[in-house]
Amino acid sequence: MNEAAQASAELTVEHDHGLHLRPAADFVRLASRYRSEIRVTNLTRAGGREADGRSLLQVTALGVNSGHRVRLTARGEDAGEAVRALSDLIRSNFGAGDHP
Amino acid sequence: MGRPPVSVGLLLVSHSARLAEGLRELVEQVVQGRVRIAVAAGSEDGGLGTSAVAISAAVESLAGPDGVLVLMDLGSAVLSAETALELLDPAVRERVRMADAPFVEGAVAAAVEASLDSGLDAVLATAVAARGQGKLG
Repeated sequence: MNEAAQASAELTVEHDHGLHLRPAADFVRLASRYRSEIRVTNLTRAGGREADGRSLLQVTALGVNSGHRVRLTARGEDAGEAVRALSDLIRSNFGAGDHP
Repeated sequence: MGRPPVSVGLLLVSHSARLAEGLRELVEQVVQGRVRIAVAAGSEDGGLGTSAVAISAAVESLAGPDGVLVLMDLGSAVLSAETALELLDPAVRERVRMADAPFVEGAVAAAVEASLDSGLDAVLATAVAARGQGKLG
């Protein structure tokens, strides 16, 4: 048990639609596979709003548009894996589909 | 996600067919075919309103062991939905829930939850939680 495990990453969302619609749903679906608590912060918008990575409505309310920087933070036993997988999803441009 | 789409089905009940179809389009974009979605919207004469007969037929089109969540655009659709449930076979009816949730946010959030193969009560809870989720953060 390593309950204190924490991991984080900062990266840029390049998808044309940012973290909305399909990309946001893909993110939430992937985040839901991990046990760790996952938080997402929009670093580009003033105030640095934060969302529960498992809540589609909270994630979309961050207003992450293309080119925005986000911080992913996970806390829990699989924190490192979760941040790696979610970072990969963002870096892969959500499968690079051009639909929303 | 290799298994066939046997998840909770979502039924969008609206007074307006255009409103419900627009919401279906949005939800489909989010869940990309992972969730079955049906619409029961408009009155029997094609105007604005809701029809218990149309709602019960739509529930039957979605019915399965995983159940059906019904989302309504306005409270005045509740009576039609309740009447519709009375028309259903009790075995189907017991796997149907009505969501006291905002129509758009509730449907989108519920669809994502259903796409995770969550059970009916979890999908209902996610839809209802959308009520507390303000648009302005």
